[in-house]
Amino acid sequence: MNIPLVGSSNKAISFKLLAYIAKRNLLSKRLRTSLTLAGVIIGIGAIFFLLSFGLGLQKIVTDEIVGNQSIKSIDVSSPNSGILKLDVDALNRFSQLPHVQQTGGSFLIPGVVKVNGAEIDAVAYGVDIPFQSISNLSAFSGRLLVGEDNRSVVVNRSLLDAVGMKDAEDAVGKEINLSIPIKIGGVTKNIIDNFNIIGVISSGSGSEVFVPSHILVSQGVSNYSNVKIVVDENDDVSTVRSQIEALGFETLSPIDTIDQINQIFKYFNIILVGFGAIGMIVAVLGMFNTLTISLLERTKEIGLMVALGARSRDMKRLFVLEALLLSVTGAGIGILGAVFGGIIINIVMNSYARGRGVTESFDLFATPWWLILGMIGFMVIIGLVVVYFPARRAERISPIEALRQE
Amino acid sequence: MAGIIKIKNVAQEFVSGEETLHVLHDVSFDLKEKSFNIIFGQSGSGKSTLLNILSGLQKPTRGDAFFENQPLYELSNDQLARYRADKIGIVYQTNYWVKSLTVLENVSLPLFFLGASRSHAEAEARKALDRVGMGKYADRQPFLLSGGEQQRVAIARALINNPVVLIADEPTGNLDTKNGDMITALLQNYISEQGGTVIMVTHNMEYLPLADHLLHIQDGGVEDLKSSNYMEMSKQLMDDMKKRIDALAFATGHRKGSE
Repeated sequence: MNIPLVGSSNKAISFKLLAYIAKRNLLSKRLRTSLTLAGVIIGIGAIFFLLSFGLGLQKIVTDEIVGNQSIKSIDVSSPNSGILKLDVDALNRFSQLPHVQQTGGSFLIPGVVKVNGAEIDAVAYGVDIPFQSISNLSAFSGRLLVGEDNRSVVVNRSLLDAVGMKDAEDAVGKEINLSIPIKIGGVTKNIIDNFNIIGVISSGSGSEVFVPSHILVSQGVSNYSNVKIVVDENDDVSTVRSQIEALGFETLSPIDTIDQINQIFKYFNIILVGFGAIGMIVAVLGMFNTLTISLLERTKEIGLMVALGARSRDMKRLFVLEALLLSVTGAGIGILGAVFGGIIINIVMNSYARGRGVTESFDLFATPWWLILGMIGFMVIIGLVVVYFPARRAERISPIEALRQE
Repeated sequence: MAGIIKIKNVAQEFVSGEETLHVLHDVSFDLKEKSFNIIFGQSGSGKSTLLNILSGLQKPTRGDAFFENQPLYELSNDQLARYRADKIGIVYQTNYWVKSLTVLENVSLPLFFLGASRSHAEAEARKALDRVGMGKYADRQPFLLSGGEQQRVAIARALINNPVVLIADEPTGNLDTKNGDMITALLQNYISEQGGTVIMVTHNMEYLPLADHLLHIQDGGVEDLKSSNYMEMSKQLMDDMKKRIDALAFATGHRKGSE
């Protein structure tokens, strides 16, 4: 059917103008809107604040436990080194597996260090160059071992403390005497030699000394205590682990630890969100109440607008916009308040910790972008759910009935 | 003058429980463009229902209303909304407003619904308010104005989209004579200056001489009268009313002769 009377244009009220009318409606009831917004701000702010605390705590715990290990790394050990040898051949087999980027091995042998006239027990690690990088070792004084090093060692801070050397800079270049007992074919012999300290690292709570692995290999040591592997991508970790375990070896990955931490914090965060949800439920009820009262008060206005040419679905959109204005504005202010509160507490706690001798700073409250966007998205969904019934009723209002009401 | 609105075999029934109320039966008439049409009749005679049908708000039980030969109730709801926003203007006896908006914004509403920008709609609304002498009240709240002022603003709102037809449901019903005359003059100006068509429902017999076309609605039926015989028709109406009053007085035992 040709319908010239409706013209060729199908233009209707713009989103911008509907949003403007929605804003004016909310502002015309300032007290009611403020109280509803306050409910949303408190509800969403409480949940964000508590979640931010849970995530901050989770990050601190994860960093403390996993440290600077790459989550793309796998630790390999042998459940029975007498039968299943973790030697150079095994290392080469691992290197040839698909998605394996790098392999490194280390020998661990208890030894004795003599320096400055002191004699202490220390753990001696025979490490190759890849092992150092996979372990993310870094020297805060001097340097790490390189391929051509022969009579060089790297020591850790705890070893220097144990022998009374306070200054790491002074320690670099000093000579130490290292005695490492090794057992080859049932016969024990001692490697005793002098080494130059070329670097100092901070990690490790006990005394540790790192020597080039080829020194031990040349003396007949062949079984690695620990092999580290780095894979191409995070997703490759489980595949490569399965392949190594199929060979009879045991594997460990920082992902295991992270999974355990995440599992614990999942429940912790649920409890925290549970507390915040109480406020959120009150806020949602407040929003529903406000929108329903607004609908009842404005039945005649909606009838009038439809009589003047508004489409019924525009009336639904008007209510949806009012709900979204309430929920998103409330979420924005609530999140800002929670972030600001978290920053203040972080500053206060760091200041307190520094006063107690803690040198490293930490964030007790974490505010990742995904959490901010997620909470705003959550409030958009809440707004849409809350407005569903009022908006549906607004769409179904009959202008004749509405204007007839007294 | 060409025909602009046609009502053909329209019947309207409302069902309330088991009872069916027949408000209009088999009503037919034509209205010409650039004419002043007055529909008059008693309360409850179906005047407002007829206006709702003409406004595209009430689908008749049978028959159809035609605008420029197009059957209205074959249009979709969105097309009917556009018809109301674009082709007609409505003035009610009681004034209704979007209370959060100013006079200017309320007058702009029909253009908002046609997709106009806020600046364009408000510029047109200022012109419409100036035409009815209400320009200085643009930034006020409409519900704080007097009855006559509100009705003038309502006329400005009805005329902002330059409608082809203005539908006025007892626009002078709540006004004193002076304000009533002012509103009627605005409706006449709309015909003479803008070439529009007015359909007005009224109780006030004084306005009947203004009509180009009179429609008398009674007991759900519409009698199409010529304006030239309105005096005769008024007399007939008065006689009918007297007879009904007498009959009612007789039935309730208050007739002098019966005491």
